[in-house]
Order: sequence, then C-alpha cells, then structure tokens
Amino acid sequence: MTANRPVSGRAALSAVAVALALVPLALGGSAYYLRIATLALIFMGYTVAFNIIFGHTRQLFLCLGALAGASAYVSVVLTMKLSMSPWLTIPIGIAVAALLGGAFSYVSVRRSLGVIFVGIVTLVFSMIFHNLVLGLRDWTNGETGLETKAIAPAVLSGGLPSYYAILAVLLVALVAYHLLMRSRAGTAFQAIADDELAAELAGIDVTAYKVFAASVGSALLGAIGALHAYYGGFISPTVFALSSIDIVVLVALLLGGMGTLLGPVLGGILFTLIDELVRPLGQLNVVVYGIMIVLLVVTFRHGVVAMLGKRLKIRLP
Amino acid sequence: MLAILIDGIVQGLQLSLMAVGITLIFGLGGVLNLAHGQIAVIGGIATALLLAAGLHPLLASVLGVLSAGAFGLIMDRTILVPAYRYQGEERLLLGLLITLGLSFVVNGFLDVRYPTVALTLPLPTPSFTVGAITVRTASAAVAVIALAAFALLFAFLKGTLLGKVVRSIMQNEVGAGLCGINSGRIRTLIVALSAMMAGLAGVMQGLFSSLGTELGNEFTSFALIVAVIGGVRSVNGTLVAGVLLGIVNAYASYYVGAYLTLLILLVTAAGTILVRPQGLFAFRT
Amino acid sequence: MSVLLGVAEIEVGYADIAVVRGVSLDVREGESVGVIGPNGAGKTTLFKAIAGMLGLRGGSVRYAGARIDGRRHYEIVRQGIVYVPAERELFPHMSVLENLELGAYPCYGARAERLKFVLDLFPRLRERRKQLAGTLSGGEQQMLAIGRGLMSRPRVLLLDEPSTGLAPFFVSEIYRKFAQLKSEGLTILLAEQQVPHALSFTDRAYVLENGRIRLSGNSRDLLGNAEIQRTYLGMG
Repeated sequence: MTANRPVSGRAALSAVAVALALVPLALGGSAYYLRIATLALIFMGYTVAFNIIFGHTRQLFLCLGALAGASAYVSVVLTMKLSMSPWLTIPIGIAVAALLGGAFSYVSVRRSLGVIFVGIVTLVFSMIFHNLVLGLRDWTNGETGLETKAIAPAVLSGGLPSYYAILAVLLVALVAYHLLMRSRAGTAFQAIADDELAAELAGIDVTAYKVFAASVGSALLGAIGALHAYYGGFISPTVFALSSIDIVVLVALLLGGMGTLLGPVLGGILFTLIDELVRPLGQLNVVVYGIMIVLLVVTFRHGVVAMLGKRLKIRLP
Repeated sequence: MLAILIDGIVQGLQLSLMAVGITLIFGLGGVLNLAHGQIAVIGGIATALLLAAGLHPLLASVLGVLSAGAFGLIMDRTILVPAYRYQGEERLLLGLLITLGLSFVVNGFLDVRYPTVALTLPLPTPSFTVGAITVRTASAAVAVIALAAFALLFAFLKGTLLGKVVRSIMQNEVGAGLCGINSGRIRTLIVALSAMMAGLAGVMQGLFSSLGTELGNEFTSFALIVAVIGGVRSVNGTLVAGVLLGIVNAYASYYVGAYLTLLILLVTAAGTILVRPQGLFAFRT
Repeated sequence: MSVLLGVAEIEVGYADIAVVRGVSLDVREGESVGVIGPNGAGKTTLFKAIAGMLGLRGGSVRYAGARIDGRRHYEIVRQGIVYVPAERELFPHMSVLENLELGAYPCYGARAERLKFVLDLFPRLRERRKQLAGTLSGGEQQMLAIGRGLMSRPRVLLLDEPSTGLAPFFVSEIYRKFAQLKSEGLTILLAEQQVPHALSFTDRAYVLENGRIRLSGNSRDLLGNAEIQRTYLGMG
C-alpha cells in the first residue's frame, strides 16, 4: 500500500485563498448571495476556532455563541454607550472572550474532571450569557437587540469590501492555525489528543497547552463575533444562541473533518450549500442539522477531508 | 419567611426530580443526556395535547409521563447504540454529541409544530391554609408527588433485587457482568425510568406554573447543575442538592429578583463545583 | 474424563495487534489446569476470551461439547463458566453479603444454601459479612471475589492470578481452599505468576509466552523441567 502523497499546508492555503477570493466573481453580482458567502466566511472562522479548542485538545465547549456574543456585546455596548471607537472596543471584546474561555479551560483541567465538566460549565455559561443579556436590558436592549449599522467600521458595512476584509481575517486565522500546528504547540496538541496521561508523563504541561488552546480559540471566537456583529448589522441573544452558532459549527466541523486545516473551510462551504437547500423548511432547518450531527458523529466522523484524501490518494492538511 | 422556605423546598424537589434522571443515566449508562430537558417537555406537551383532546387531567398526565418514558426507551435502543459500543470517555463524548443533536431535533420540531402549546394544570382549590400560612395547592401537590416518586425510587434501589442489580452496575459494570447480569437490558430499563421522571417533572411544571416548548434547554441546564453538585452518580446527592438550590433560589428571588437570582444560583453552583468537584455526596448511591 | 472446556487454535487481539495466537488447551472435568507465564504473555487475554469478554479473531472455544465463542459473557456465566479476574471487580459500596448474593444472580432463589457453603469455606467472610467490600483488606477482597464467583454453582472456575498482591500467608490459605474445592470436583483453570504454588496445586499446566503455548504437560514434570526451573523458579 503506497503512502498517500502529502499536500503541503502552504499549497492548501494558497488554493483556499485563491478559491475564496474568486467566489464573488461566480456570484453574478447578486447582493443576496454575496451576503450568504460573507456569512459563510464568518462561520468558517467560528469553525476554525472550535477546531482549535475541540478538534485538537478535546475540550467540548458548548458556548461558542455565548463567547462570540460576549465579545460582540462588550464591543457594541462600549461603542454605543461610551462612544468609544470600535477599533478600541473590538480588542476589548476579544480579550473578554479569551479570558472567559481560558478560565473555563483552566478550571476544568485543574480539576481533571474530563469532558463532562467542560461541557456542563460551558453549557451553563450559555445560559448565563443569555440571561445576562436579557437582564441587563438597560444596556443591551434585551430580546430586541441592538442595531450596529450606525457604529460599524465602514469596511464592514456590506458588499465586496466587507467580503474581502472578512476573508483577509479568515486567511490570517488559517495561517496562524497552520503555523501553530507546525510549532511545538501543535505537536503537544497531537500528543494530548492521542493520550493525555501519556503526554503528561512525557513531560508535556497539559494544563498550559489546553488553556492556551482554549484561550486562542476563544480569542478567535471573539474576533469573529465582533465581525459578525458589525457586518450583520444587528445583535440579539438569538443571533448568538446555541441553535444559531454552536449547531452550525458542530455540523461544519464534523462534516469537514476535525483537526485538519481544510476541515473548517470545506465544512463551511458544504454547510452553506445545505443551508440554502433547506431554506424552504424555515425553522425546521434546526431539525435537519440535529439529525446531521447525530449521523455525522456516528458514521462519518473523520469528515470530508479524510474522505477526499482517501479517494485522491493524497494527505490533505 | 416560612412561606418562602416551603416554596423553596417544593421548587427544589421538582429540580431534584428533573435531575435524578441525569444521575441515573450517567451512573448506569455512562452517558450524559443533554436531551433530558426536551424529554421533560415532551411529557408536558403530550399531556397538554391530551388534555385539549378532552381527556381527564389525571389520565392525560399519566399518559404524558408514559410517552416521555417511551421516548427515552426508543432513544436508548436506537441512536445511543453506537455510543454504547465504546467505554469510558469515548462513550461519554459520543453520547454527549448524540444527545445534543437530538435536543436540537426535538426543540426545533416542537418549536415549529407546537409553538403556542403550553401545559397548565389548574387545580380545583388554588390554595388552602394550614395554621398561619396559606399554601398553594399546587405546591402541596408537587411536594407530595415528588416525595412519593423519590420514596418509590429509594425503595426500589435498596429493597428490590432489580434495584440492587442497578446499584451494582453503577458501582462496577464489569463486576455485574461477571455475575451473569445483562447490564444492557437493565440500562434500557433505567433510561426509560429516568425519562419518565423527567416527564413527571415536566408535568409538574404545568401544575406549578406553565410549561412551554422553550423551557427544554433551561430544564437540561438546571438538571445538569443539580446533578453535578449532588455528585453526578449519587441519587441521595441529587435530592439534597436540588432542595438546597431550590431554597437558595426562593430566598434570592424574594430579595433580589429573577435575573440576579439566576446568577446567584449559578455562582453558587460554580462555587460548590470548584470547592468539591466530585459533588456533595461523592459516591453513595 | 471427558474434555469439559476445549480451546482450539484461538487468536485474540486488540486493534492491529494479536495478543494470543494459535492457542489450544483442554480442561477435563474435575481437573485443575494451570496457565503460567510472564507478565504480558496473554494469560488474561486468553481467560477473557474464554469468558466471552473478548471476541475471537480465529479458532473456537467449546464447552460441554457446544461452541460458546460469540456468546455474550453474561450468558456464559449462566452456562456455568465463571471468571474471577485479578482486579476482582467487586461492588465497593455494598456489603460482603450483598456482593455474594449478587454472585448468585443466575440462580438467585436458591442462594441461601450456596451462601452457607461459601461462608463455611471462607470463615473470614462470615465474620465480615456486613462490612463494605471496599474496606476489606487485599486478601479478604480476593476471597470475596472467589466466593462471589462460587455462588452461582459454576462447573468451571477461571482464576486469574489469585495470588496478586497477597501476603504469603493469604496465598497459602487460598490455595488450601482451592484444594478443598478441587477435592469436591470443581474444574479449575488457573493463571498464575506464582509458579511454585500453581504447579504444586494443578494436575497439568501450559506455559504461555508471547501469546503462544511453549510447553505443556503434567505439573509435576514441569516442576522438574530444567528450563522452567531456570526461567520461573530462579534456580540454576
């Protein structure tokens, strides 16, 4: 059996960059489809973040929307109520998300209570976030939400500039991911994912690496969350709910392939196509995604990247 | 003062009833059921639909609870089967994701199909007085039912052979197999039982105030918190933890109001978990 | 004496690795047979395969004439083969009595008589019958594990390294009990690292190394075998 030819990360990244850059040309000038494509990029970003947190260090964070939303709300509220510049408030939001994510990870890892603990803590945090937003309605306008069109940075107000700006951020994230995985941290992640105890015994500081992964992933969630808030024009608890963000990321990552570079991208593209297909179902789309999660987890766990790799006899990053 | 305490205990009992299903399924099946709240909602909505169809409240409630149990049974025998092929953390993770997917499916379906259906079970006499306190009949009913359910559960676990078998599987599944016990079949029974407990809690929510499809995730979260604080394998612990949290909730609500109460509750939960992560009752089924 | 338990050319493994290959052994009714070998030789894997806890990749296991490989482990217990693992796998928060009673699960109604038999065999357990299993000493836990195994009236007892972690005094004591059980006709398959005890107690023995049978024969002959003496008895 011949070993599969490995495709280099650089080649893959270049291919992705070119392909995604050319997408708007294939959309025939439709503003509707451009928006869908831009949102797809945003969800790819979320998925890259989750890939780092769960795909590589097995920390099941069930609060992706809440972390992104925390960053978004912090940034938007500070910009609106205190008239600060979004370029200042966005980093603050990112820091908030990173701190929260790192804290959840630290607490869980130190107590070494395994997957359930992180899952429960983060799920509960989702609930806390939701209720906090509703409860602090003087600041957040509760369920009704806040319009961000007026305060958004110009580059995020729509159309082609927004697409390319967000694409740039996504590519930076992918490059950072690629470099991270090729660094010592990446090897550590692999060891931790394979066998945590063995990694610990081999001298790897499992706590540090897991918290690091969680913080980096959460920071990315915060960044994308802020982009989502300003590009989307509107934030509300529903925008960042479990059934809006977490479910999409789960499907996309499982579809694409956990622990891979191309997984989030391919998964995001596939998800977007499926999303368009089930649009006529309206709110029942969540049902389809739930079914997909169950099926993917049970049968197709390694995702499209692994499948394509097998078919084409190459090893995709 | 006393009225608040009573209210807290009653709410706590309902929380415990919600949570004990999680404890049982985790202790026996090694799976954390994230669709637990949705099962409670199914019990409540089924009851509401049957009520609307003209059935007597008691019959509707019983059938509602049974349908929740049936759902649990089907869940165990179908989509959880792939999870049971694994052990330990693999099984946990798989079970988590499968039940998470299931929760989305049920939530989505119920939200679209029955968005306005809510279960409310009015009682003939809204309240009665005992000595100096006025007690809501609903509170008394919930307390009695919950206590009865727990009493039956304890009697089952301690007193019957099957209950002993269940405890043995929870303490050592391999050991149980060595005694010739078919733990898979017992597990299905317990999952169905847990689902019925959840369904019962859902119906009782209808007694207490009202239950709608949107409460699913909240139920799950609360059940998880109570189960973890009580010691995620201990039935005793779940009962105590639920009542404690119910009391905290009642007092906090009275003094501070709804949203801050939730925060206090969650912070208390977080605090307990940090200080004693294995739960209050580490391991005493 | 007919062959009660027959293992023919079995192969057992995990993932890509075969741990036991081409192993055949026979146990006749009433016999005591030993399986000796170093750590990692595959003794536990072999026993788990016989007990139905692991699947076979090849070969077969026959019991009382019929094939039992492929049957679920709890069914095999009900048929009369009981496995007592080295880890004991007791119920730590239940009393000695409750542990024993659960051992009689396949014939629960008739447990009283069997209980008397086991408690007579292990008077220590009778003394501590209300004590929680998790609080017993190592030796007592081992006795409880064996006692629990006996509760369902097995025809074949698979004992996996019963002397693990026991003080020499306890080891002698349980081997005395094994002799008693043997004299009452129980068929025993015994895996041991403590070779002297194993070879003096059993009738025949197999030597398992790296997943294969290297030697077999009468236990007394094996005791006198130069190679065995060198490798396992530290002599010569």
